[in-house]
Formats: sequence, structure tokens, C-alpha cells
Amino acid sequence: MRMPDSFNKYLDETGATSRFTYRYFHELVRPRYEIRQFLRQCYLIGYTSLPLIGITGFIMGLVLTIQLRPSLISYGVESQLPVMVALAIVREIGPVITALIFAGKISSSIGAELGSMKVTEQIDAMEVSGTNPFKYLVVTRVAASTLMLPVLVMISDAISLYGSYLGVNIRGNTSLRLFFFQVFQTLQFGDVLPAFIKTFFFGFAIGIIGCYKGYNSSKGTEGVGRSANSAVVVSSLMVFIIDLIAVQITDILGLN
Amino acid sequence: MSTSSQNNVRLGIFVTIGVLILVVSLYIIGKNQNFFGSGYSLRARFRNVSGLMVGNNIRYSGIQSGTVSKIAVIDDTTIEVTLLVDVKMRPYIHQGASASIGSEGLMGNKVINITPGNAQLPLLAEGEMLLTKKVASTDEMLETLSATNNDVQIIAENLKNTVVKLNNSTALWQVVNDSTLPGNIRVSMDNIRQATEQINEFSAAINEMVKEAEKGEGVAGTLLKDEAAATDLKNAIRNISRISEDAKVLIAHTDSAVKQLDRNVNNGPGVAHAVLKDTGIVKKLTTSLGNIEKGTAAFSENMEALKHNFLTRGYFKKQAKKQKKATQNK
Repeated sequence: MRMPDSFNKYLDETGATSRFTYRYFHELVRPRYEIRQFLRQCYLIGYTSLPLIGITGFIMGLVLTIQLRPSLISYGVESQLPVMVALAIVREIGPVITALIFAGKISSSIGAELGSMKVTEQIDAMEVSGTNPFKYLVVTRVAASTLMLPVLVMISDAISLYGSYLGVNIRGNTSLRLFFFQVFQTLQFGDVLPAFIKTFFFGFAIGIIGCYKGYNSSKGTEGVGRSANSAVVVSSLMVFIIDLIAVQITDILGLN
Repeated sequence: MSTSSQNNVRLGIFVTIGVLILVVSLYIIGKNQNFFGSGYSLRARFRNVSGLMVGNNIRYSGIQSGTVSKIAVIDDTTIEVTLLVDVKMRPYIHQGASASIGSEGLMGNKVINITPGNAQLPLLAEGEMLLTKKVASTDEMLETLSATNNDVQIIAENLKNTVVKLNNSTALWQVVNDSTLPGNIRVSMDNIRQATEQINEFSAAINEMVKEAEKGEGVAGTLLKDEAAATDLKNAIRNISRISEDAKVLIAHTDSAVKQLDRNVNNGPGVAHAVLKDTGIVKKLTTSLGNIEKGTAAFSENMEALKHNFLTRGYFKKQAKKQKKATQNK
């Protein structure tokens, strides 16, 4: 039986990505750690993304609060606005929105960077000069994005909640202290921890897909563009797929 | 300071802030759920925990003071709830304190409310049992309310029918609108009152009579009690009856006689019929009477003529003298 070409291509891609992932873990645990490069990537991936993610988080919190208010008023539970927004942000919106922004910014830049290095044969040159390009380029970036996204999500959640506090105060009136107590009265470990854990997977998926697309970029400037583009598309999709799996797992474990 | 180490410092700050947010929020959540706080456990047994869950709050006189740490089924009617209560509440929970299951707001989470017991009694120690109090649950209230509602529905239905009938009744509205009615009723009532008074008097009199009759006094008494009188009465009645029989025969005779007479008068050949019924005779009689009148007038003339006659004149003179004498003697 002959599979359609696109399906074959999909299987081929999946297999190659899996192998790439295996190689990542393999290289990750082998000594000679590129600490300096890792820190530099953490700075570039994490710290420089903060303004973008902070602004989007702030806006999300504010907008969500304003949007939810009429529905809650119609149920007569306007006082539960902080609770609702906090749950929505911490459980779902914070991690997913942050991951999508992060994918847009980081996955594309990694894809383009590694793609152009590949096209200009810098990677081959690196290999010749005795540096392990995979370790130097891929491992550091993937590790950095895996570790930085959770940090970004936490900060983004905090900024979102502050935005929500301002949103509550646009029409209503609540003190920061009361808002804070209401939010933490509602939040449980089951809300924070699964959301926090899944962000590692988001970060890892975004990093590994960006690196894979760039590292296996086809020749020519066109290939660089394509690898950057598909890195964003696939990693964004992966974020949602991981989210789906994560919600099933937390549901099965009874953490909801 | 090189750019790289500067960047590392920024990165450090960035990561620290992120991790701090995570740690602090986890700590606060944990503290809210008494994960880290020093607590001691108390137990309480309920028949029905109405949806209480592990982690639900405990309130001591309304103050947040711990969480539910375990819910276990002991047997089919007993559920044991282990409460993790703040140590700072320990000096206030005495023996005799009672736990009841309530809820936060109308639809909110369940909570366990601890009501203080007797302050004279010793404090409850770790693992000791709280008394429990059953609170009317919303379900039970709704159940009762549902039964009441059904009754109310039936009553309302009946009431509605009655009211509709009343509304449609013109007679009733006439009665209601009639302004003279109250006066009439008042008068009627007055009459009734008087009537009853009279009835009262009457019945008193009757009573009196009956008493007399019982003693055999008075007419009624005689009637009722005197046997001889009764026999006489019976005889009298029998006689009356017999007389009436006779009277009936007599009347029949009289009747036939009258009929006979009537017939004779109307049609018979007798004088009575001629006088009463024959018009020819009447005429004749009238003519005869006229003739008699004329005859007597002629006779009177004759007698006058006789008086003046010389043969009889003396006789008449004698007669007149005799008459004169008689009146003078008187």
C-alpha cells in the first residue's frame, strides 16, 4: 500500500524530529557543558522577551477582567471577578498566551539564525574547527528556552493579575490587599503546579522545533525563510497539543 | 564590568523574580491550606457531609482556623472527618464544642463551623472528637418546600375556582351592593329576637301546662288523664256521629221535598203556580180589582143617595145620635 506523499513526509519529519530530540538529550548529558553560551542564550531568550511578554500579559489581565465583568454581573457575582480572572490566568491563559508569544519571538529567531548558519555553512565550519555545533548551538538554546519560559510565565502571571486588579478598579473598587487575598484564597496547588510544569514542555517544544527547523534548513535564502516560518507554525501548534495532553493528565490525576 | 557579566546579572535578577513569584505564591497557597502551618487534628463524625471535601475550610465562630484533612467512611451511617485546626485556636476549643457543616454563601463551598463549647471544661486534645450538630440542609428545606408548594398549589386552585364562582354570581353582588340589606337584617334579627323571646315565654307556658296536665289538672289534664271523661267524650262523639247520620237523611228528604215543590210551583196546575207564574191571571186580577173599585164607588154614591131618601133618612139619624151618645159616655 502506498501512503500519500504528504503523509510520508509527515512521518519522515516526525521521525527526524524524534531523532533530533534524542540527540539533544544525548548531547545534553555528555560532559563539556557550554555554560557561558547557555547563560548568554538564557539572557537573549528569557530576559529580552520580558518586555514583550510583560505587555501582553498586562493587557490580557486587563482585557479579560473587563470582558468577564458583564457576565459576572448578570449572575450577581461581581465580587468573584478577581477569583475568575485569577483562575483563568493562572491555569490557562497565562501559560498559553505567553508560550505563543514566546514561540513567535524565539522559535522564529532560532530557526532563522540556525538556518542562515546552516546555509552559510558556518555549522560545517564549526565542526571542522573541533567545536561540537550541536552542543554549542542546539543544546544551549533548547535548554535556555525550556528553563526561561516557566520564569517568563510566572512573571507574566503576576503582571496579568496586576492588570486584572487595575481592570477591577476601572469600574469597581477593591483594595490590592483584598484582591490579593481573594486570589490566593481561591488558588490551589492544583491550579498553579500543573500550569507551571506544562510550561517546561512548552519551552522545550518551542526550542527544539526552532532548532530542528533551522539546523535542517534547506539550501538558499528561501530555505532560511521557510525554516523560520515553519518553526513558528509548528511550535505554536505543539503548544496547543501539549496543552491538550496536559489537561488530560491533570484531569486523570485529579488535580483539577 | 563586561557586557556579558552585566547580562548575567540581569538574567539573575530576572530568574530570581520569576522563581520568587512562584515560591511566594506556592507558599501563600500552602499557608491558606495549612500545609506548613502547625496544626493539630480533631475529629468529628457526621451522618452526611453534604459534599464536604478535603481542603475545605474550618471556621471557629466565623474565623478561618484550619482545613479538612481527611474524610473517611466508618460505616454506612458514619463518616469521620479529620480536621486540621490551627494551633493558635487551641486555647479556645473546649470539650463540648460542636462542629456543623455549613456553606460559604448560598452556593459556595462547604465549610465546617466550630461552635465554642463550655469554657469551664478542659481543652480538647489532639485527635479528640468534636460533638456534631445537624444543620437543616438546603436539600431538606427544598424537599419540605416542595411538599408545601404542592399543597399551596391545590389550595390556590380551589381558591381560584371559588373566587371565580363568587365573581360570576350576580345574586351575591346584588346582595353585597344592596344598601338596605343591613337595615333589613338588623330588623329581622330584632324580630327573631322578639320571636325567640315569645317562644321562650310560650314554651314556659307549655311547660307549665304540661306540668299541670301531668298532675291531671285543667282541661288538658282532664283530657289526658281522666278516663271517665274520655269515655264520655267518646260517647258524645259517637252520638254526634249518629245525629249527623240522621241529619244527612233529613237533609235528603228536605231536599227532595223542596225539589218537588219547586217543580210544582214552576209547572204544576196549583194556585201557587197560577199566582206566581201565570201572567194572564195577573191581568185578570188587575181588571177585576179595577171593576171592584168602580163598583164600590158607585155603591158609595148609592148609599149617599139612600141617606137623603125620606124613607131611610130617619134610620140614619137614629144611628148618628146613638154614635154621638157612645162617644159622650166614653
